[in-house]
Amino acid sequence: MVRKILVSIIILTLFIGTSQAQEIEKGDVFIQNAHVITITDGIKENTDVWVKNGIIHQIGNQLQVPRDVPVIDASGKFLMPGIIDAHSHVALGAINEASSPITAEVKMEDVIDPFDIGIYRALAGGTTISHAMHGSANAIGGQNITLKHRYGTFNPDELVMEEAPRTIKFALGENPTRVHGRGKNLQPRSRMGVEAVIRNGFEEALQYKESWEAWNKVKDQKNNRQVPPTFNSRLETLLDILDGEIIIHCHSYRADEIYMLIQVCQDYGIDKIVFSHVNEGFKVAPELAKYTMGASVFSDWWAYKFEVYYSTAYNAAILTKNGVITSINSDSAELIRHLYHEAAKTQRYGGLSDEEALALITINPARQLGIDQWVGSIEEGKQADLVLFDKHPLSIYAIPQMTWVDGIKYFDREEDKTDQRLKVDPEETLEPMFLHADHINCMSDVDFYFTGFGRNLFEHNH
Amino acid sequence: MNVRDLLIPFSVSCLFLFILITQPLFGQSDRNGERRLGSSYVITNTTLIPSPGKILQNQHILFEEGIITAVGKDLSIPAAAQEIKGDSLFVYAGFIDMANKTGVVEPTLPEKPEGFDPSKPMPEIAGIHPHFNVTEYYQQSNPHDKAWRKLGFTLAQKLPLGKGMLPGTSALVIYGQEGKNNLIAEHQSIYFKFSTVGGVYPNTNLGVMATWRDLIQNARLYKKHLEMYAANRNISRLEKKPVLEALMPVINGDMPVLLEISDELDIRRALKMKDENEFRLVLTGINEGDKLIPLLKEKKVGAVLTLNLPEDPSSEIPSGEKSEDFETRMDRTKGAYKQSLALAGKYEAAGIPFALTTKHLPRGDFSKNLQLMVENGLSKDGALAALTVNPAKLLGIDDRTGTISEGKMANLLIMTDTLFTKGAAIQMVVSDGYVFDYSEKPEKGSKEEATWEYEAETQGGKSTGTWKINLSDGKWTGTITYEDPQGQGMKTSSIEDAVITEEKMQFSFTVSVGSDKLDVEVSGNLSGKKFTGDMKIIGYGTFPVKAVKKDKPEKSNG
Repeated sequence: MVRKILVSIIILTLFIGTSQAQEIEKGDVFIQNAHVITITDGIKENTDVWVKNGIIHQIGNQLQVPRDVPVIDASGKFLMPGIIDAHSHVALGAINEASSPITAEVKMEDVIDPFDIGIYRALAGGTTISHAMHGSANAIGGQNITLKHRYGTFNPDELVMEEAPRTIKFALGENPTRVHGRGKNLQPRSRMGVEAVIRNGFEEALQYKESWEAWNKVKDQKNNRQVPPTFNSRLETLLDILDGEIIIHCHSYRADEIYMLIQVCQDYGIDKIVFSHVNEGFKVAPELAKYTMGASVFSDWWAYKFEVYYSTAYNAAILTKNGVITSINSDSAELIRHLYHEAAKTQRYGGLSDEEALALITINPARQLGIDQWVGSIEEGKQADLVLFDKHPLSIYAIPQMTWVDGIKYFDREEDKTDQRLKVDPEETLEPMFLHADHINCMSDVDFYFTGFGRNLFEHNH
Repeated sequence: MNVRDLLIPFSVSCLFLFILITQPLFGQSDRNGERRLGSSYVITNTTLIPSPGKILQNQHILFEEGIITAVGKDLSIPAAAQEIKGDSLFVYAGFIDMANKTGVVEPTLPEKPEGFDPSKPMPEIAGIHPHFNVTEYYQQSNPHDKAWRKLGFTLAQKLPLGKGMLPGTSALVIYGQEGKNNLIAEHQSIYFKFSTVGGVYPNTNLGVMATWRDLIQNARLYKKHLEMYAANRNISRLEKKPVLEALMPVINGDMPVLLEISDELDIRRALKMKDENEFRLVLTGINEGDKLIPLLKEKKVGAVLTLNLPEDPSSEIPSGEKSEDFETRMDRTKGAYKQSLALAGKYEAAGIPFALTTKHLPRGDFSKNLQLMVENGLSKDGALAALTVNPAKLLGIDDRTGTISEGKMANLLIMTDTLFTKGAAIQMVVSDGYVFDYSEKPEKGSKEEATWEYEAETQGGKSTGTWKINLSDGKWTGTITYEDPQGQGMKTSSIEDAVITEEKMQFSFTVSVGSDKLDVEVSGNLSGKKFTGDMKIIGYGTFPVKAVKKDKPEKSNG
């Protein structure tokens, strides 16, 4: 008996020892007496939310306060699900591998920067999940990664939301044509070229698949004469897209190119596609509703280059009313701090309801990222990513007070320190000046070689 | 009567010698005087630190032909062994430098062809040339290696240069005698770094990681094809791919990857690479990442820390008005600085036998930074180990060097006091059995005198005399005595144009014979207390000359 116990202890310690590195911290908290904005089930007044081991355990009135769990008095305050940003470049060490029109093989998970102060600032704005994307230099960019803002870890892997499905960046229009066409005299040089690059990529992937199938069939046979094909993770990834394993998030502006890619996807049987920016989305709203996983838009950002002139602040509302799964994203380390303001603009421009407006930054982006079964609303059994506001989050006066991820409080306005950096440069002595921060954006890391040599007339960023 | 007349009777007797020996003139097989007198040395009665933590008194160390042949208190010392009096000296194993690039030039890469497509560059243009061998780009005779030798380094791992992710394979070289081929091992590791050429694929760490994954997969497939081709006929020919071929030893586990990192996120990336495709990993350039120490230990990753520590932030506090939180921010900066200094000590405490690299380190900071590591938690023995036995183990040469015992290479550091003692100086460095003397040179303005007794083999037989050489205000002057060619006893001339370095000595003088003047040039090599070279009588010939220094401290040898 003793031996059995000993053995099990040894096994247990071994298990703990090896799994420690990947163990994500989960918390318990009891939030009492809040206006709970559930998103999927209306507003619940004077309601308690009990979080147990990172999961929303129970929602209700006058719940029995559990023992040994921190209690937050939320009287008069508004609790909503953590805000989800479907298009971000926060916490990344590189954005664009702009050296080829297709770079489906590259993975943003390889360049996660857990020290980015932007994560903390996003938490201070109630954002708990961001979709860390490759840039828009290439027709088919890299594989994105969905991050949970567990600020404080030194391990980049601990920011990854493990449940999230794979996603990939596509980009249409001026960015890929400028970078590759004008910059390097490669295809694509026009919108037609962008389509050709994408179609050719898929065709090449199908041929690649055939060559591997042929090899796998004969490789173990006696007297096999066939030699192994070359491995190509770029084509492997394109195949995974064709197999429906990866959600496309496509940078796009114009209605014609949006409709073009919808048709390409139809031809190849792809239905997992979300369009990003989508400034002319209102023109193809029924098609977006029918054939895609929706559109992720700016509230009112446009005219920074030719293809973004035909735009309207009513875009999100029109898309929503047409049944398109719509989200509002930041694509900016600054906007990510007040996405609730961005959502509120749809009430001024389009008159969306509170629920519709808040869905734009919670459950809808969750659906677009394929994570809505875990996050995006306050429901029992979902992950406890929560933000507590002092006023209604769609009020211009609202300020986030506390933010939780997996039941762990990562932001508390009361405990906010002047210096929240995780890591400090040992040689840093200068007085930092924060008048201007470099914006990381869709075209970061597109270096001199790829910028189209000074033709970047509008210094545009997206 | 002039000198010519005097010499004639002797030249007759020499004539038959010329006939007998048609090869180079007797005594002149070493015309440039580069041959040393012998390769056998003994350091006597010295304090020996054979490996970190051990100290032995009154030891003799005998080395011959570059190998330590005996160590101990009672040795039979061969008569030919030149003695280095070690009474007041301390002998350590010579230092080993990891990931060093001094003396290496960057390869010229092929021109980009017309209509070049940067998305599909040939591997070399993309900085992917693991098949390049650093020895083809290493200039053995370079001033930097000599300067590092003067600081105690006897052996280095040389890195190939290149702007991309796979610049080539490293090699081990010894900082021994110039003019010899000092290569110890080549194709010693594959060098990888997170960098790109720019303007072509791969252009960022994103592309670098993806490229590595594909390269490894394709190296495996290449190997498979190779095996098939070797075993069967009627298999299509394997197109030779030098890049994949160079990676085969990595996938076979025969060659480690020396992976240079610049921050802890790079370390994470490196560990990810290793997790995905197992290979032997040695990280170099480690400068931060305390939290990763247990993980590196668990995964048995070789660790090379950089000696290039950050600048002390408190040394340049900006002037002018400070914001209210300046002090707290400064405290964090100072904390981060201290943490950098303490990193080596933490590796030691964790039991990771790490080595050190001087890459990016200004030479003048070597001792200071090593001292800083010791002041911030690294033990002195740990510091010594990081420069000797640990790198030897990482490089797989600990059976040959890194410690002092019989059979090991004669790579020694001879100090005037124990390492890290204030004022301790390097007296000599022995590398590959060659002795380099760095004993204190008199300062400019002070005087140094030395008397040498020489013996020259001229046609007239042996000629002897003395050289008295003085250093005064940085200039060497002196006199030479010689037998008067006219048989009038000893004569004296002044020494002109003297140039004396650690390894060589040359000067000239004039002999008056009646109304004629003979110009004579002496040049040769210094070896301890011994000089061996030639005496060239302009217009008559060159004769071997040897000399022995008569006073205390010795000069060196090459």
